[in-house]
Amino acid sequence: MKEENRGRLTKEAKKKKDTRMTGKILVLCFICLPSLLKAQTPDVVIYPRPREDTKLAVADFVARTSDTSEVRAALRIFDRVLWDDLEFSAFFEMPSKSFYPLKPLRSPTDVRFDNWKIPTLDVDFLIFGNLQVDSGLAVVEAYLYDVRTREQVLGKRYNISDEALIQRVAHEFADQVVFQLSAGTSRGVARAQIAYSSLKGQGKEIYVMDYDGANQRTITANGGLNKFPEWSSDNSKLAFITHLPRSNRWELWIQDLDGGRRVVPLPSSYVASPAFSPDGKQMAFSTREVNGTDAGIYISNLDGGRLKNLSNHSAIDSSPTWSPTGRQIAFISDRSGSPQLWVMDTDGSNVQQLVREGGHCDSPNWSPDGRFITYSWQPRGQWNHQIYVIEVATERIFQLTSGLGSSENPHWSPDGRHIAFQSSRTGSKQIFVMNADGKNLKQITAYGSNDSPAWAGYPVTEPQE
Amino acid sequence: MRRVSLHNLSWLLCFVCLLTAAACQKRPPPRAPSPGPSRSGDIARARRAGPLPTVTLTASPSSVERGEQTTLSWTTTETMSLLIDSGIGNVADSGSLVISPRESTTYTATATGPGGQATASTRVTVVPRSARGIITSTDLDGLQQALEEGKIQPLFFDYDQAGITTEGERVLKENARWFQQFPNATIVIEGHCDERGTEEYNLALGDRRAQAVKAHLVQLGVDPNRMETISFGEERPFSPGYDEAAYRLNRRAHFIVTR
Repeated sequence: MKEENRGRLTKEAKKKKDTRMTGKILVLCFICLPSLLKAQTPDVVIYPRPREDTKLAVADFVARTSDTSEVRAALRIFDRVLWDDLEFSAFFEMPSKSFYPLKPLRSPTDVRFDNWKIPTLDVDFLIFGNLQVDSGLAVVEAYLYDVRTREQVLGKRYNISDEALIQRVAHEFADQVVFQLSAGTSRGVARAQIAYSSLKGQGKEIYVMDYDGANQRTITANGGLNKFPEWSSDNSKLAFITHLPRSNRWELWIQDLDGGRRVVPLPSSYVASPAFSPDGKQMAFSTREVNGTDAGIYISNLDGGRLKNLSNHSAIDSSPTWSPTGRQIAFISDRSGSPQLWVMDTDGSNVQQLVREGGHCDSPNWSPDGRFITYSWQPRGQWNHQIYVIEVATERIFQLTSGLGSSENPHWSPDGRHIAFQSSRTGSKQIFVMNADGKNLKQITAYGSNDSPAWAGYPVTEPQE
Repeated sequence: MRRVSLHNLSWLLCFVCLLTAAACQKRPPPRAPSPGPSRSGDIARARRAGPLPTVTLTASPSSVERGEQTTLSWTTTETMSLLIDSGIGNVADSGSLVISPRESTTYTATATGPGGQATASTRVTVVPRSARGIITSTDLDGLQQALEEGKIQPLFFDYDQAGITTEGERVLKENARWFQQFPNATIVIEGHCDERGTEEYNLALGDRRAQAVKAHLVQLGVDPNRMETISFGEERPFSPGYDEAAYRLNRRAHFIVTR
């Protein structure tokens, strides 16, 4: 029976894997450590290899007509954001700008392609463009050229009613470039928001920010404890748990980003870790019967109807995450003695243990392609958690973070090439993003205490082409 | 005869003069109430010290939740004017008034009468809404006091455990005794964890601890309907430290009296 279950799991994961293989580019390469437990000072072991055959140059944009201080300020922001987005995408080799030809590129007629094929550069693709700000209105023209064929790949003109939106235009163009040059493997993550929980006074409020930490704005302001945000698959809603001041219970809230709010009625004072099903019709979460002894995994409709206990076990079962097909749920259970990673079908059957290394596992999050689950693990006898990834089909485990502090609550980016998590390595809990191989680490919050990042799915408005 | 009548006339004149003078003084007649049986029109007596006024002032009920109303009632004797402080002002010599004080207030009525002044006070206690419910406040106050005096102790847990220790059993036995002494107060059991676990698991572990304590108290005879549980995971440490001594204090269940 157990073998059979394992087989089913493998099949689903393999199907995903095959789809990815045929997806032309970017097969993630893995180096497996001989044994996780032997790894005392493990290195980064998961490796989404950048397309080393794609060299990209991103020339500074230039003022189209008048070179005012206003225009120069907008240019500085645009150039920095576009560069950071493309570099973070981990798809390109990007030679330093110091090797670039000096001549500014305002429009395609300015480009001397031979100058971009000199040995120190030898880029495959070139981005350039211009920008104009006129009484608050901004216009950006952005181009992507194939240097070998000298053909235009992308030519975009953005009209912005507010120059404060200049960052959004840079994100938008970066995502289009990634979409184009990755042959559709990724639609880019630069516009995908990150929700998180931020300490404010005695309480914690739900916030949302850009993936680079900019544009932080509050979703809740109730003075209570608001924790564990998770996005609906269409990014229109956030689910999280709330403990209002002077209340004696946790509540499950579903907040529409355009204002509406719903409190899901539940039987007991404990609820945690809500997660929307991929079809958006159900939620999984951890709660308890009113006189129960322990947390269990439950699913219900968004209005709390058809509540069903999936785990049915006298142990703590918590932290559910849906497989992208919606057919399985991975969760944390201490039924084997300590909290470990388990998987079951969404009808509660076929329960099997995925991680059996002992210690403490928590906060699993299933990758968008279904192949991996990221989670935090604290080996027995140690007090710090680090971020790990397990390949579901093979049960191979890869360590992504190491060193100081405790790193917890990992969450995939929508393209499955990055992971956001929280770490206390700087002394307070802050949010970091990194490649799915643990490289390219960036701290994106710096003030207060911030935890439980949840990366939204791709924006609903797709890049054209 | 004529001399006598003259003599009599001078007396009469004197008397009239006296009367006129008295009338010219235009003493305002005493306002209500009447000074009682001594009110015989004897002017000399009216100017003299009369009996002392008396005043009573009561509030019913004397304790209200914020926003609720109470009735002040008062009676007086031998009083010409009556003033109640705390923003009420001059009032009739007997009466009542419905008030809704924002905070606990002592009202003092000052009665002034021909014989002097008298005062009476009453205090209206205003309690916050959440701190008082349908239940009688005496149990609540009693249990709250026991809690504040440290008679109701928190209990502590081993790492990653929700089992009640021997020491914990002793603490719960003692606590159960207090809970049963004040049967009308509701108790909230808070479950807490140290920060070495993860937030999600700790929220479940704190819940397991609180539920374990509740089950144990039920065994000791405490009505389960009087007990609520809430987990705070690692959100509300007792001690902010990063060593075992601090962690030990943070792995706890403690008690709050409510409503």
